Amino acid sequence: MELQLALALPVHSSVKGFDLNDGGIESKEPVASQLWSYGGSLESKKCLKNKRSSEEAFGKMGGGVPQIFPLMVWSGQPNEEDDRKGQNRKTSSIVNKNEVEENHVVGWPPIKSWMKKQLHQQQQQQHQGGRVKNDGVAERSGGRNSLYVKVKMEGQAIARKIDLRLFHSYQALTNTLISMFEKEQKFDKNGVNYTLTYQDKEGDWLLAGDVPWQTFIESVQRLGILRNGG
Amino acid sequence: MMNYFPDEVLEHVFDFVTSHRDRNAVSLVCKLWYRVERYSRQRVFIGNCYAISPERLIARFPGVKSLTLKGKPHFADFNLVPQDWGGYVQPWIEALARSRIGLEELRLKRMVVSDESLDVLSRSFTNFKSLVLVSCEGFTTDGLAAIAANCRFLRELDLQENEIEEKKNHWLGCFPDSCTSLVSLNFACLKEINLAALERLVARNPNLKSLKLNRAVPLEALQRILMRAPQLVDLGTGSFVLDRDSDDSETYRKLRTTILKCRSIRNLSGFLEVAPHCLPAIYPICVNLTYLNLSYAAGIHGSELIKLIRLCGKLQRLWILDCIGDKGLEIVASTCKDLQELRVFPSDPFGAGHDAVTETGLVAISSGCPKLNSLLYFCQQMTNAALIAVAKNCPNFIRFRLCILDPTKPDPVTMQPLDEGFGAIVQSSKRLRRLSLSGLLTDRVFLYIGMYAEQLEMLSIAFAGESDKGMLYVLNGCKKLRKLEIRDSPFGDMALLRDVGKYETMRSLWMSSCDVTLGGCKTLAKKMPRLNVEIINENDQMEFAPEDSQKVEKMYLYRTLVGPRKDAPEFVWTLV
Repeated sequence: MELQLALALPVHSSVKGFDLNDGGIESKEPVASQLWSYGGSLESKKCLKNKRSSEEAFGKMGGGVPQIFPLMVWSGQPNEEDDRKGQNRKTSSIVNKNEVEENHVVGWPPIKSWMKKQLHQQQQQQHQGGRVKNDGVAERSGGRNSLYVKVKMEGQAIARKIDLRLFHSYQALTNTLISMFEKEQKFDKNGVNYTLTYQDKEGDWLLAGDVPWQTFIESVQRLGILRNGG
Repeated sequence: MMNYFPDEVLEHVFDFVTSHRDRNAVSLVCKLWYRVERYSRQRVFIGNCYAISPERLIARFPGVKSLTLKGKPHFADFNLVPQDWGGYVQPWIEALARSRIGLEELRLKRMVVSDESLDVLSRSFTNFKSLVLVSCEGFTTDGLAAIAANCRFLRELDLQENEIEEKKNHWLGCFPDSCTSLVSLNFACLKEINLAALERLVARNPNLKSLKLNRAVPLEALQRILMRAPQLVDLGTGSFVLDRDSDDSETYRKLRTTILKCRSIRNLSGFLEVAPHCLPAIYPICVNLTYLNLSYAAGIHGSELIKLIRLCGKLQRLWILDCIGDKGLEIVASTCKDLQELRVFPSDPFGAGHDAVTETGLVAISSGCPKLNSLLYFCQQMTNAALIAVAKNCPNFIRFRLCILDPTKPDPVTMQPLDEGFGAIVQSSKRLRRLSLSGLLTDRVFLYIGMYAEQLEMLSIAFAGESDKGMLYVLNGCKKLRKLEIRDSPFGDMALLRDVGKYETMRSLWMSSCDVTLGGCKTLAKKMPRLNVEIINENDQMEFAPEDSQKVEKMYLYRTLVGPRKDAPEFVWTLV
């Protein structure tokens, strides 16, 4: 079985049981802006200085560790120039009206999550006008200790449900998804690549892995697995 | 001289010593005082549940009646601490239940509470009177049902901002008919409630002074409840909405009449859902208010807020959203001359709000309200000139927390860092105990803090400083520092390891996204066996042996008398 589920993960993450096709991966310098474990890509000049260089962080970890690359960047492999441009654009302001960039820095501004939830609920109500019965979102359910979301794999009729609270990282999630769907699916001999996407609370479909795990957990409504070419 | 007094006399004298710190000081004077103090201590405060064990608490203070426990680090409020980190109350409740402690009050903050814990609690202490849960999680309304059903003399059930799973049970109905001792009930953080049970409960509890409702309580029900409880001092409304049609105008009239009878209300909060045209119903009681919390009332716009505020001449504490605007704050400044505490929260944390507040609003407040001693202010921008003016107008700050939404933003007028502004604040407010910084800041601000903030106990730093020197200024200068929390700042091993003994004088240190390395943390742990140095590791790196030179994403260290905790999850490594 050759199923690879690729995310924009930092290069040194565990790849055991994940990269089943060693031959297809080439070694390449990872890009600094993908360091989502750093709490989001805070792009002010001040913090660029503070960010460790990728070499510092990963240089000594290299040696024999296969490196996974974001296969789902639409225009092909990212290169450093592209991302530096992105960084410069964001230098002037962290607060960005672009909704995808909302919540980009974990835990900032420092507002209690309970209060954020209340305000968000109220904002939603204001947009819809008048009183709204808050019956929650059907796809996302469970209390504090469980967070069930639907997972739909492209090409399969039936969606599954998965409890995201069982995981602390994208890695663990994708491992489980692979084993969940492995049984259901027949694969080409050459291996098929899949992309993990999710729908956030605004209803937009985004690539999984771009935002820190905690941020992802707060806004994910459901998951989708799309096929790429082989 | 005191040795000639019998113990009972000493004990009687100690009865007048009530603050935790004073009692702690008393216990250090001599062995006799230690002994008398420990047997007579009734209230114990444990700021970090992992600093000591329940067994040692029970051994030292066999007479304890009221226990306060805090669990997770403060930054857990902002999602920086993963689920299942810890902070479980179960071992405490079990140990207390096994002992002969006559627990009457339990106050928990940032702890994980289970239904089982609540059940054991409710059955084990016949005189249990008061349960206060703040920012806790892990339990459901089944746990609340146990408390309601079994605590015969319950006076207080206060649930603040907890994550509670709501089952279909009617827990409120589990209070028996014989329950008539309630003084304080707060369930604002729940989504549902059994209205009929609530009204009956209020009717049979004439001593109720504090009642905080949730969104599920409509205005009609509020009116009926207030009819039964005009003696309330502390009211949190639920839903404050009526449609504008004729059926409801009768309800509105009744509400106005009923509220007129509620002359004792001094603290008003709630408005989780509010229609501005209903607000005039509360105008008659505004004149008596000393505390007003509208921080959840996103539905009230600036002009309506202002109309309301103009009536609140006696306000001492005001919590509000930034949609009040600078103009609104000017009205607060001219109306609320007794104001001591102000909290301004962002209504739209991720956008650039038009009605948001700036330095202008803060300066206005400082000139109108010289008694101001506690501030939490979320704003779009701040200038050094404004902070210097605020420092001059208000030299009495005990708490000063400024949060500029863009955390590294300089003074927009001069483009300078805000070092001088914060420097002025710490220099002028000699009694400052808590400080949170934001904006563009160099090492200089820490030099000022180290020099002037002699009473500082808690400092929160984010995206600030340039080098290890910054952290060193603070560690060297602030002799009373107890809690230091730092994120995204360039402080590393050199600062961490310079004065390792300092951390035993503090409760805890949090550092995330800084420059401390695994090696540095290991060195510290080795030198200081009475600290727990914990690393939170969220990436799946368990298979790798990380290098000592690798930077640590999240480190939390705290002094403890009981060694590494045994309940740490796999992603928390305690270094030894």
